[in-house]
Amino acid sequence: MRLLLEPEPDTDLDALTAEAKAAHAAGLDGVMLRQTRAVPVPLIVAAALAGRVDDLLLAVEVDVGDRHPFELAEEAAVVDLVSAGRLVLVVRPSEGAEEEYGEALDLLRTALTARPFRFEGRRWRVPAELPENVHNLETHIRLMPSPAQVRLEIWGSGAGRDAALARGLGYLADADADPDELGRAHDRATAALGPAAIGAPRARRESLSDSDALVTRLRAGREAFGQDWAVVAGGSGEATALGREVRPRVQLHRLNPTVERLWEANGR
Amino acid sequence: MTDDVNNRVLGHIGLGLWTMRSMALHPRNRVADYRALGEDAVLAEQLGFHSIWSAEHRIWYDGWVPAPLHALAHVAGLTSRLRMGTAVLLATQHDPYTLARTAATLDRVSGGRLDLGIGLGHRDVEFDALGLRRDQRGRRMDEVLEVMPAVWAGEHGDPPVEPGPTIWMGGMAPRALERAAAKNTNVILPQTLRPEQVTRCLDTLHSHGGWNGAVGVLRDVWIEPLPRRARSMHTRFVNNFREEAGWWILKGKPAHEVPDLLESQMARVADSSLIGSADEVAEGLRALVDAGADFLCLRINFDLVSQAELRDQMHRVAAELPSRLADVISPLGVER
Repeated sequence: MRLLLEPEPDTDLDALTAEAKAAHAAGLDGVMLRQTRAVPVPLIVAAALAGRVDDLLLAVEVDVGDRHPFELAEEAAVVDLVSAGRLVLVVRPSEGAEEEYGEALDLLRTALTARPFRFEGRRWRVPAELPENVHNLETHIRLMPSPAQVRLEIWGSGAGRDAALARGLGYLADADADPDELGRAHDRATAALGPAAIGAPRARRESLSDSDALVTRLRAGREAFGQDWAVVAGGSGEATALGREVRPRVQLHRLNPTVERLWEANGR
Repeated sequence: MTDDVNNRVLGHIGLGLWTMRSMALHPRNRVADYRALGEDAVLAEQLGFHSIWSAEHRIWYDGWVPAPLHALAHVAGLTSRLRMGTAVLLATQHDPYTLARTAATLDRVSGGRLDLGIGLGHRDVEFDALGLRRDQRGRRMDEVLEVMPAVWAGEHGDPPVEPGPTIWMGGMAPRALERAAAKNTNVILPQTLRPEQVTRCLDTLHSHGGWNGAVGVLRDVWIEPLPRRARSMHTRFVNNFREEAGWWILKGKPAHEVPDLLESQMARVADSSLIGSADEVAEGLRALVDAGADFLCLRINFDLVSQAELRDQMHRVAAELPSRLADVISPLGVER
């Protein structure tokens, strides 16, 4: 099980840096930044944070909204470069835009290959070949620069579950998603994709009120839908508790009870 | 030279342009290049410069950065005083609301350090990639100029940013100057303008009445006292532009299909560059200040020198120019 800390969205870089450093010190895998009214472009925050903290994955959840996916792909490539390959781009369908969401994912992934491409979807056509544009036109375009990663990590989230799973992508479920329903969705994707479904991260948002309760929940998530990533809301305090009280207990299928008793005796 | 004078002069000088290109003439590793951007910015801040500047293009083989605000956000995380600029960002190729929010986020993250230079863009293929018509770029620019300040003022539900990014209108065309005058924005003028053209642009701006923005001027600069080395740099510099011209359209044709036009453009680029001794460079810059420039963006980064050469040049500019320009830099300058 891999753990990402999700601090309260903020543009205060010093506060975020402190929380990210706590996540690093606690042995967590990274931080998650999401889009809010107050922080409308979390990719900018991730790029700023990249120079402040090393090593951590920078997961960034963006609403694809009405935006051209090619433009989002360019921004993701640049943020991946400034972080030397640490970006996880989590794409959430905007309300009312669920229909074109799958096409947005396809265009994003096509653009992020290292090939010149054409894309002819229902919503987007790239290049558009508009008759009014006349000079130096291309039949195929190539996103430059490419990201640092071999394949930029892209996950779906929110209402994008089936579209993401059908493409063999990772999926971040909301905290209130039904674990059994998630399990069935993953089973359907596996049946449809076969081995192509192997390896897609299965994540869910979590909260930490009590370490034991979270451990129980994560183990249940693993049973129900193969959960292997948890995005946990919190700051420095939560990071420390996750590192000491949760992470060690959710890594293995089964833990020798004497180890648990040792941790209890040592007060962790 | 007192520190005070030093700071005052360098406080009116920005450095450009970090365009993040890997060219045939000077190949680079991408990850190292973006790491170098952060390192160079830290040095620029230490040396006391006002700002560092990037620019935008897309889908060209050299990898010219298509998301300069995201690259500059990396700089924001590594610096605390240095400002970050775009000369220019192609405002017409973005959704105006997304652009406004991206700039606002960077402005907040950086503590108000964004100088947002915006321009129209000119390559049809860039517009076409994004499903946009090049011939509507003027209308789109007008929309950007309406939407951005409104978003920053909180009129569309966003938290207000005070005072918000500083807008610099790029370009010297009458329509660009008219837009700058109408919105009372700063102006950033291209590097090929002669001092008398800078003055003419200022006259045009003032002729619209009520404009009181600042004028920045880009200039290609390289301090090299040895004439032989200066000539060699000049050759590298022109060859760099010749490679860049692979995408230029001159009078409706690819630049390399109209060699006469290309060479006259190369001559303009070469003539306007300031490559030589510190005295020669300072004299050229002094003429721009005399002509009305409030701010200078020295393009010392042509993507054709190594990072070591570039950093040496940054030190050289910081050491050589303040004493030579102290008497002409206005104490008012670009401070808001």
